[in-house]
Amino acid sequence: MSATDVLTGRPTAAGPTTRRRPGLGSALRWESRKLRAQLRVKALLGGAVLVPIAVVVVMHSQPRPPKDTLFGRFALDNGFAMALLVLGFAVQWVLPLLTSIVAGNIFASEDQHGTWKTVLTRSTSRATLFWAKTVVSVAFALVALALLAASTVTASLLIVGRQPLTGLSGQTIHAQRALELVVASWATMALPMVGFTCLALLFSVWSRNVAVGIAAPVVIGLVMQLVGALGGIESLRPFLLTTPFEAWHGLLAEPRFTGPLLDSVVTSAGWSVVCLAAAFLILRRRDITGG
Amino acid sequence: MDSELAVDAVGVTKTFGSLCAVDDVTVKVEAGEVYGVLGPNGAGKTTFLRMLFGLVRPDSGTIRIFDRSWAADGVATLDGVAGFIESPAFYPYLTGRQNLEGLGLLDGGVRRDRVDEILELVDLTDRAGDAVGGYSYGMRQRLGVAASLIREPRLLVLDEPANGLDPAGIRDMRALVRRLAARGLTVLLSSHHMDEVEEICDNVTIMRQGGVAFHGAIAELRAMAPDPGYALSTTADDRALEIAAATPGIAAVHGPGTGLVVTGPAHEVSSYVSALVRAEVRLLAFTPTRTPLEQLFFMLTDTDPQEAEAA
Repeated sequence: MSATDVLTGRPTAAGPTTRRRPGLGSALRWESRKLRAQLRVKALLGGAVLVPIAVVVVMHSQPRPPKDTLFGRFALDNGFAMALLVLGFAVQWVLPLLTSIVAGNIFASEDQHGTWKTVLTRSTSRATLFWAKTVVSVAFALVALALLAASTVTASLLIVGRQPLTGLSGQTIHAQRALELVVASWATMALPMVGFTCLALLFSVWSRNVAVGIAAPVVIGLVMQLVGALGGIESLRPFLLTTPFEAWHGLLAEPRFTGPLLDSVVTSAGWSVVCLAAAFLILRRRDITGG
Repeated sequence: MDSELAVDAVGVTKTFGSLCAVDDVTVKVEAGEVYGVLGPNGAGKTTFLRMLFGLVRPDSGTIRIFDRSWAADGVATLDGVAGFIESPAFYPYLTGRQNLEGLGLLDGGVRRDRVDEILELVDLTDRAGDAVGGYSYGMRQRLGVAASLIREPRLLVLDEPANGLDPAGIRDMRALVRRLAARGLTVLLSSHHMDEVEEICDNVTIMRQGGVAFHGAIAELRAMAPDPGYALSTTADDRALEIAAATPGIAAVHGPGTGLVVTGPAHEVSSYVSALVRAEVRLLAFTPTRTPLEQLFFMLTDTDPQEAEAA
């Protein structure tokens, strides 16, 4: 007796299915649809736009500038300096946290909801789902960074002003050039941000726990900054994932130096590849016994 | 020529640490039949079904589904296969419809009108726009069946589908399984309820502590079943015991509470009841304890499988 479709009564495929096999595109649509439906994602993106405005307003209303921080001395009088001051603050923990809230959750939430068995009993392989979640997480990180940067720079220039910027070597940088350098400085955050995204993905896969997936990369980032601030560890510093967060300093010096930016590419790519490879192997070999 | 096998699992073993969850299990399910995997909790049923779906990798043995295997064909092994393991799980922040459409994407896409029809079939049309987080257990169970049916399966694997349902839900679920089976769908279902398997299935494998305690047709199982038992309460239990002792083929003992438990072939039990009436022993209650198949199930799953085979 051949099987018939429960609704139409038509015979169902007797051999290999004639249905189009879903590819990465289908999985990407599914993962991005889930992400867009989550309140936390909307809140994060909204926060990336609104919080910098509030920060700039509050900072601008302070009677004295934060002189002990990079560009703090000029932040109350110069919009470009304000945007760079916010950048210096964001790299401490905001950027790792921003990406970890999504990347640290994206695999572990399948364990939390018990839905691995739901998605892995369809026609999409573990590998395809892994790459779809990875691409969506990286895309979210970059979008969040872009919104945060755009909001910070715009708010800083509108509220504080577009005066020429004093660079790290004391040189004067005209407004148009300063805008380019500030935007470029924020753009250099993309690579370490991707690195932290991959680290969060690894913790999400390995721990199967949302809290660990979100908190662990932030804590590791803070520890790396602490280690990076210590003396006598020059050989270790290039391997820290937080070091690329400082690579933009060279853009604001005279003469400009880009060596740290090249190191940043290597360090961020190295962390990303190692974390993704480990996460992929763990997921691929795992027995799904829960849920 | 042999019938096409929907499931051909041979010598499958899976160990977690020191626990052997599935021990050398062989199950063959022919296309078009309704097959039951029966066993108490912890017998290894769910682990076995997880291995069919590729969620858990067996340590040894082979599993072929419609002549495809995970080793050779990867996720294509699941072409034509659908179902759910334990209770179906969905994304609570998505609606029922969004869950189905999203899962359809992972199957290569599903038409909106088919989703509508499936929702109608499982009686969830009215709640399709609500977030799944607000669904009852029974509604999630029905959504699980819906998520399976949008794959247009030839083999439906259901892990304890009636678990957690109220009596009406159990009745509806069994009716749905029978309706699907009548369409020629192969159904492999696990259960720890003998009556469910007896009612729906053609063949059965009974598992105990990871191993197979019995496999064969329900008819074979019925032939092995012991005499039925009855709980009996009378106005004079001691006199009833004396009469039982004098009635051929009847055994009676004091029950766990008050009253007696009487076992014997149906016609001998009938004679025994007549004898009680003639002796003016009045019956206060007379109810079957377990069905013979239930008794057999407990025998098979409480004792060593080899001893059960020998018996």
